[in-house]
Amino acid sequence: MEGHVYVEMKLKFLNTRRKESIIAILFVTPALIPLVVFWIWPMIYSFYISFTNWDLMSPKYDMVGFKNYLSLLHNQEFYKAIFNTLYFTVGTVIPTIIGGLILALLLNKKMKGIGIYRTILFSPWITPTVAVSIVWSWIFEPRAGIANWILTLIHLTPLPWTESERYAMPAVIIVTIWKSIGWAMIFYLEALQRVPKELTEAAKIDGAGRFNCFRNITIPMISPTTFFLVIMTGINSLQAYDQIQVLTQGGPAGSTRTILYMYYQSAFQNFNAGEAAALATVLVIITAILSLIEFIVSKYWVHY
Amino acid sequence: MANINENYEEDERESCSANGQKVKKKNIIRHILLAIFSFIMAFPFLWMVVSALKTKDEIFITPLKFFPAVPQWKNFIDAWNSTPFGLYIFNSAFTSLVIVAIQVINSAMIAYAITQLKFKGKKILFGIVMGTYMLPAAATYLPSYVILSKLNLIDTLIGIIISNAVSVFGIFLIRQAFLQIKKEMIEAAMIDGASHWKILWQIMFPLTKSSFTTFALISFVSNYNNYLWPSLIIKDPNKYLITIGLRQFFIQQGAYGIKWPQVMAASTFTILPLLILFFIAQKWFMSGIADSGVKG
Repeated sequence: MEGHVYVEMKLKFLNTRRKESIIAILFVTPALIPLVVFWIWPMIYSFYISFTNWDLMSPKYDMVGFKNYLSLLHNQEFYKAIFNTLYFTVGTVIPTIIGGLILALLLNKKMKGIGIYRTILFSPWITPTVAVSIVWSWIFEPRAGIANWILTLIHLTPLPWTESERYAMPAVIIVTIWKSIGWAMIFYLEALQRVPKELTEAAKIDGAGRFNCFRNITIPMISPTTFFLVIMTGINSLQAYDQIQVLTQGGPAGSTRTILYMYYQSAFQNFNAGEAAALATVLVIITAILSLIEFIVSKYWVHY
Repeated sequence: MANINENYEEDERESCSANGQKVKKKNIIRHILLAIFSFIMAFPFLWMVVSALKTKDEIFITPLKFFPAVPQWKNFIDAWNSTPFGLYIFNSAFTSLVIVAIQVINSAMIAYAITQLKFKGKKILFGIVMGTYMLPAAATYLPSYVILSKLNLIDTLIGIIISNAVSVFGIFLIRQAFLQIKKEMIEAAMIDGASHWKILWQIMFPLTKSSFTTFALISFVSNYNNYLWPSLIIKDPNKYLITIGLRQFFIQQGAYGIKWPQVMAASTFTILPLLILFFIAQKWFMSGIADSGVKG
């Protein structure tokens, strides 16, 4: 008798399990199909293309082994692109994070009008990069732009900005910082709110000065956020394209050609699919390393 | 869900600062600094509008004059009439809305499966989804282009829509929201015999509406702003998105010495709707952004 009940229960259990699996498939499929077709499969496919000499047009191509990777290693342009990517990444990440923290500290106060400041400071982030880069290219215009007018005003020499190898990258970096600083600010605001008040109060009672309190309590408490922001802004910088396309198109003389921009040019201007795919692999590997570091560190480093 | 706005006005949040009388003086300094920084950040927008209102001569005049003698509103009309910006904005808004609708539905469904259902391979599935979160989208463009051309969807708005039909960010955000829902509420509905579809849309969706709002807004804006990928697949000027159309307009004006006032007017058409949307719905934008950083 008992056995019978058990079997019946088991059967019912199996049935609901099977039913649940079918439902799960139905619920997962609508997202999984585009995910596979436009994310996972392209990644695999791109890796495969990187071992071919395909030109994107002809139906025929040959497998060439590691030739695309090796020729990158012998290509001066590639090293220049790596240098530019590093320059651009470091140049955007550090000011974005320091600026974001300063703005968050200023906003971290119960005060009238704080909401308005916050809205304005964050607003560049939601605007289209293409459109604001066009506006910035007018600001940077060497002859009549306001950037040079300001420089003359404070008795500095006007700069050729996007027209020169030396100042094109700083111009692209300025636009990128302007656009992402509010984003970093929001994360810091959240982090500052999570700093336990007891700690700072205790420090104050102990007679710690403002600066010491900030250095010994606030900075360590928000360091996981800093770390997260370094990685995320770094990854975003690796993927920057729109502002480069509008302001410099990688020039002058390749001075703003990052790995991503080089990828775009070899894929869609030179139709060198093999080389482009090899560059994509490089990009994926750098990103994967950065996110892996983030993932591991954040596991052991508690977010407060 | 972290709600920055609500917490704001309630507590004294400044940590390492002096108490008492100094505070008032410090507040003034704070206001001044914030006002300066806000002005710097808003300056490109202000300069865009001011430049759009100048004449061709005024814009190149030295020494530089900040304001036009007579605001040239005509520049806006000229820019609007010279290029079908209305059509481009419609194309962008339309594709973005359709993409958002699809993403909301499929993100909710897969998030439901991941949080509520038991099935084989769930961990692997979640691992795959998580793995794609950080991947550089650009690395998929070349093969995705090939796939779209095989599907005969190059140069179509449908191509843009289906290639953007999934958002890993959305899956994360919704999953996170679903994890916050009390188990008892779902169990009660189960006992009442509600189907999974019903539980998802009639119980869980209303409870997590703010996350959905956030996601819908962020997704809409990022699709509206998207440039690189659409510019690769759209060639027909009638199908231009606003970002592509604006850039083409910028290049064309450049051919005969850039008509900056018209270009600035066109940039204003592009940016203004987003700024208005943001000022209305800023609370949702900012809470969602902070949330995406706090990983569950």
